Amino acid sequence: MRRWGYRHVITPLVESMDVLDLGLGVDQRRRLFKFTDLRGEVVALVGERTVPVARLVAGKLRAAALPLRLCYAGPVVSTDEGRFHHRRETYQVGAELIGASGPVADAEVIALAARCMEATGIRRYQIDVGHAEFFHGIMDAVRLPDDVKGAVRSALVARDFVGLESLLEGTPLKSAEHELLLRFPALRGGPEILEAAGALVRNRRSEAALTELSRVRELLVGHGIGDVVILDLGAIRDFDYYTGVIFEGYGPDFGQPVAQGGRYDGLLAKFGRAAPATGFVVQLDLVSEMLTRAPRPPALPRIDAAVAWTGSGLNTALRLGSTLRLFGMRAIVDTQSRGPAEAKAWWRALGATNLIHCRGEADVSWSSDGQRTRTLPPEQVAARLAGGLS
Amino acid sequence: MEGALELLTRSGLLSLSAEELGRQLLVERSDLRVILVRPADVPAYVDHGAADLGIVGKDILWESPGSHYELVDLGFGDCRLVLAVPESSSFDGPDTWPPMMRIATKYPRTATAWFEARGQAVEVVRLHGSVELAPLVGLVDGIVDLTATGRTLRENGLRIASVLGSSTARLIANQASLKTRTAAVQSVVSSLREAAGGDR
Repeated sequence: MRRWGYRHVITPLVESMDVLDLGLGVDQRRRLFKFTDLRGEVVALVGERTVPVARLVAGKLRAAALPLRLCYAGPVVSTDEGRFHHRRETYQVGAELIGASGPVADAEVIALAARCMEATGIRRYQIDVGHAEFFHGIMDAVRLPDDVKGAVRSALVARDFVGLESLLEGTPLKSAEHELLLRFPALRGGPEILEAAGALVRNRRSEAALTELSRVRELLVGHGIGDVVILDLGAIRDFDYYTGVIFEGYGPDFGQPVAQGGRYDGLLAKFGRAAPATGFVVQLDLVSEMLTRAPRPPALPRIDAAVAWTGSGLNTALRLGSTLRLFGMRAIVDTQSRGPAEAKAWWRALGATNLIHCRGEADVSWSSDGQRTRTLPPEQVAARLAGGLS
Repeated sequence: MEGALELLTRSGLLSLSAEELGRQLLVERSDLRVILVRPADVPAYVDHGAADLGIVGKDILWESPGSHYELVDLGFGDCRLVLAVPESSSFDGPDTWPPMMRIATKYPRTATAWFEARGQAVEVVRLHGSVELAPLVGLVDGIVDLTATGRTLRENGLRIASVLGSSTARLIANQASLKTRTAAVQSVVSSLREAAGGDR
């Protein structure tokens, strides 16, 4: 994320409830671990970090010019609400682009999320991109009494399409929007889905959303990730919070999204600095779970060099260790003196690629997997190892 | 389970006997893998992505809402979740309930929410079986339980005071499966929808 110009910020794990109240919905507030500090103020462990970042932007960083590109990493905590094993603590890496609106900003954040997923080691992934306004437009246009509308909304958010169908069946008025709502989970695919949906909707908000999505898709092709993007008009998310383009990242054979994000233009105003904003989080604990369950789980990176020493070889060992690290290699210098046989055993136990044994100021031997041990002048070691590695 | 297997046969997806599945618990056939788990465990398998799709009663879904999509009412497995009280009890509608109602149930979440929505204070005793006994021995005022015909209730000297909801079997889907394996999952969904008599 540094390469995209996002500055790392550290927000507190414990936040005042007054701050969190401003930014969070009722359900999110309920799930917080809350307690009181010594002055009797109610505080909570953060359940997400977008609200703390928003407070930072409206507070300490209020003089900083927008747009701001910020990123963060850290644990977030929420109380156990699920029936099954449910994580209390998850580790999230996230980024927020604050003060920029429009498809170019949306696409930047989606592309960054995609690159972050790649950086974690996920080889195959998919990003579903939708738009909250598409849903809002349909709900505006659909002709239903207010109480039924509320029930329709709840059914949709609960992903209860059986309930939704019976609600809509009970109403005499039928429109294209009814049909769209019922087909919500199936409204996904490539650019053709935008046209198909465009032919069905008859309201400005949804049409504007489709136009914006089409533009975002083009831009994502420009970012080089067009082939992992799927348009999902039926994306169901927290519609009170998100105001524009929304997205979710899925890995292979894993039952839940590992990354999610979207545009939330309403949040910053609650902290007194109205600004458009978009961002995402990657759930690193889910990613690690997914990767370790894959057919070829990622191995820990190998140590490049185990540097052992006896007697006066310690100085040489320390110097060599520094040099190897300058070359970008992972080098461990032993903490105790060892003879040749012991040094070999220590090397095997570490699983390092090379063993450098310093037996004196200028007496260094080099062993490597599948090669015989050679004696080398110390100044040649780094070059030989670097040559062997490249 | 019979209803689900009959539906699978009717949909042409695969035909499997109850004995076979009951014996093996996991059967693989024609690109499908069918697993048999306890009804209450179905949402767990689906929500965690161990199964792409699940067939489960609505009563279970009331009790354990999750991240799955509820896609089709499969129509079989009709039953009602009811409040049943002893024949001799004076409890009927909400006006006749005591200030603090004690009920026994296997559905604590659904029961609590239902009473709370009616402004009734309730103490829920969670039981795992033979719930009908609890009011007869004075443990509770009534029970909230599932009934198809009401026979078991009558046999135990209980009568239905209120109906909390009606349940049928539902088809549920994992959220990620719908998105990452759309074609395969949707084709099974539409076969089952058709077999269940849905018109969409």
